[in-house]
Amino acid sequence: MISLPLFFYIEHMKKTFPLVFFLLCLASCDRFGNKDTKQENEKRIVCISKQYSEIIFALGAQKDIVAVDISSTYPPEIKKLPTVGYHRALSAEGVLAAKPTLILHDNNIGPEHVVKQLELLKIPMKVFPKGATLDSAKVLIKEIGAYFHKEQEATALCEKLDNDMSRVLEARKSYKDTVKVLVIHYGQANNVFLIMTKKSTAAKMIEWAGGEIAVDDEKGMKQLSAEVIAASNPDVILLTDFGFDKLGSVEKIKELPGIAGTKAAKNNHIFRVEEHDLVYLGPRTGENTLLLQKIIHPGGN
Amino acid sequence: MITIENIGYHIGHNTLLKEVYLQFHPGKLNLIIGPNGAGKSTLIKILCNQILPDTGSVLFEQRDIKSISVKEMAKMRAVLSQNIELVFPMKVNEVVMMGRYPHFNASPQKRDFDICEETMSYFGVSDLASRNYMTLSGGEKQRTHFARVAAQIWESNENECRYLFLDEPLTFLDIYYQFDFLNKLKVLLSASDLIVVGVVHDLHLAAKFADNISLLYNGQVLADGSVESVLTKENIKTAYRLDAEVQSALNGIRLQF
Amino acid sequence: MVTNNHSRSTTFVLLFLLIGVAFISMRYGAVNISLDEIFSSFRKYFTNSDSMSLNERIFMEIRFPRALLCIIVGACLAVGGTLMQALFRNPIVEPGLVGTSSGAAFGAALYFVLGASFKFNAGVWTLPLAACFGAILSTSLVFVLAVSKESGRSSIVKLLLTGIAINAFFMSGVGFLSYIARDPQARSITFWGMGTLSGANWHAVIIVGLINIVCILLALVYSKQLNTLLLGEEEASYIGIDVKQLKLIILSINVVMISSATAFVGIISFVGLIVPHLLRMLHGSDNRILIKHSVLLGAIILSLADTTARLLLSPAELPIGIVTSLIGVPVFISLLRSKNYYF
Repeated sequence: MISLPLFFYIEHMKKTFPLVFFLLCLASCDRFGNKDTKQENEKRIVCISKQYSEIIFALGAQKDIVAVDISSTYPPEIKKLPTVGYHRALSAEGVLAAKPTLILHDNNIGPEHVVKQLELLKIPMKVFPKGATLDSAKVLIKEIGAYFHKEQEATALCEKLDNDMSRVLEARKSYKDTVKVLVIHYGQANNVFLIMTKKSTAAKMIEWAGGEIAVDDEKGMKQLSAEVIAASNPDVILLTDFGFDKLGSVEKIKELPGIAGTKAAKNNHIFRVEEHDLVYLGPRTGENTLLLQKIIHPGGN
Repeated sequence: MITIENIGYHIGHNTLLKEVYLQFHPGKLNLIIGPNGAGKSTLIKILCNQILPDTGSVLFEQRDIKSISVKEMAKMRAVLSQNIELVFPMKVNEVVMMGRYPHFNASPQKRDFDICEETMSYFGVSDLASRNYMTLSGGEKQRTHFARVAAQIWESNENECRYLFLDEPLTFLDIYYQFDFLNKLKVLLSASDLIVVGVVHDLHLAAKFADNISLLYNGQVLADGSVESVLTKENIKTAYRLDAEVQSALNGIRLQF
Repeated sequence: MVTNNHSRSTTFVLLFLLIGVAFISMRYGAVNISLDEIFSSFRKYFTNSDSMSLNERIFMEIRFPRALLCIIVGACLAVGGTLMQALFRNPIVEPGLVGTSSGAAFGAALYFVLGASFKFNAGVWTLPLAACFGAILSTSLVFVLAVSKESGRSSIVKLLLTGIAINAFFMSGVGFLSYIARDPQARSITFWGMGTLSGANWHAVIIVGLINIVCILLALVYSKQLNTLLLGEEEASYIGIDVKQLKLIILSINVVMISSATAFVGIISFVGLIVPHLLRMLHGSDNRILIKHSVLLGAIILSLADTTARLLLSPAELPIGIVTSLIGVPVFISLLRSKNYYF
């Protein structure tokens, strides 16, 4: 039946990952054409983790990184590197085309059969310990620092992170109320919103910033209907870069079903945030949380 | 010879056929007539083994048709249904060749090609041989199928008669081709092993060409026999609710309503 | 017959094209593999496989089996389409129509989501078996439900409509499973459902290859009988065909073919739909010719689609279902609108 592929297409759009994949492809088509300027490198590292990528660049250890996944978008110069595509939709040849001597990944790569193919060809792969909490993120920074022989830089990054975080927590003490925040990822598709829940990394940062995520769920991200959005009635709505830019303006966003009636819409508390500032912990997490505080507690209270 | 013995058939409480006894002889054009709903189509379907009767049996010579396999049957019996449509393009000669399918295994032999050519020229479709069937007119399609069913039983079998069943074969033909077809059929019927049974609507044609007419009415045989004995004023009045004038003519009878 | 010579030359043209396309799909990819490396990889694979360079291994372990799987699956989808269209006398029929694809999808989804909780484990065979199980389940469900109580037979219209209903039913099952799935599982379902040949390996090539060679040969054996169905089921039986048995055989061939391919590469649409159409324009609807040509043209089209999927956004890769739909829909619509093609 003709409707079968169509059905799958819709079904998959709903599943967000292909949506993510295609939007990323479209948004960053130019990145697929990037020239490999490190042809002569003996060590060739492909980094398939946006968190690792940012840390490696922050450490100044990017010399041997020859390609990254397409979600690695910080710092901006990383976009000049060739990319191997979306981390969950890799192709074996696509990764191998970068001639990697090592693949760094955070166990969040796929599809499974491609990982198997890479293992079959005995391509070395390395996974660092998970950095999902502030403490483990610091451990991760130090581990990566140690691996690239940038111990001092790693220590400095951790210190800066600690400093920023203590400023964050200091500021939080002065807030009288907890602001309810809704984070919408990739805007609106098929009339549902992809929402970051209390299980997400963003939730941690919002909490440090003196806020509270509006929606709870077992998964970090959840597709929710306009009704749930309206019922959660957030004080502030944050949209990640892609979704915000797609919709264009705060006015447009305010017209969306579910958002229109919220306190955030009435008070114009709708803001754009960079995705890579919000979805993983890293050296800039403290800085970013300070920025969040400015957004959700604009008066300092 | 075909013998129909005590055929009865019903769906639910609706009796479509009841106590039908008939015989059809070789070398004769046997036509079945009757008003709408008389059971003509049902009877043809039973003759073709498409549906099983509730009572009675159909015998080809002495053999019950239920005991003859589909494959064996196809070698001696051809059926022309009404209004066959193809959904996919196919050439006329390929359609005609399907009539030979029961007779060869993997690919057609020279004999099969020869027979197809003969039947195509007999029914005047040789010129259409490489045309797409789907582009033909209704009449051309019908003639293609004449050629096909003729090809299926073109050759005499050693021990068996050949049987040809026609279910309203004249529907899409103009009067010229109706006469043409029936005349050609008559020529074929000079073979003593060919038994033709057809359902027609047109009483005039039946009167003109039939050797034997069976008039069905309400699922039963109202009359059976020669044209003159079946197409009487009374029978037509009973079956068709019409007053007809029946006149004797040079060859047979003429009807006027 | 004149058509015979004509169709034979088409066979050669298609064969020639297939060799060309297969060469391109083996030669080009994200990794630049030279001709020398390709030749040496063949040499070393059989003599001294330990000494193979990375590129040689990439060719032998990834690209070559993928190109082969592409040819096999393309042939399988196209022949499946030809068989189904002839059987249903319906030009918009795809192999998935009688519930096969959605059932296979459901079986695979079941394996992804609940596989761990079942005791059943057949190693690499578990997924294809699960898909096959789903396909048989859905297909037989369609047939059981489509048989009418009075006559004990199933009309084709009834089959089609039941097929649509059962498809919807199993697809909602897939939707439900992917909804309750935990994240990594859901990822497998989605990837599998879009169709991709990136998982190709020698296992898949051998399993799908063997199954399909047998099925295609069987299809050829029954191709003459299948022709008679063009006239309708009643006419076919007048020409000496046991229609019920023929339908069962053709459907079984289809189920086995499609579920074996679907298990390894997911759902790939439109190949089974457009290949028979294109070929019918060349030589009409004689299935004896059509099936042979479907093998070749199906392989050509899927190889082209896969090469496109690999090269378009290289080094990233598109799901092949998107490419086949992208190529297939315009071709299909122009076929529908073309004046020399009648339905």
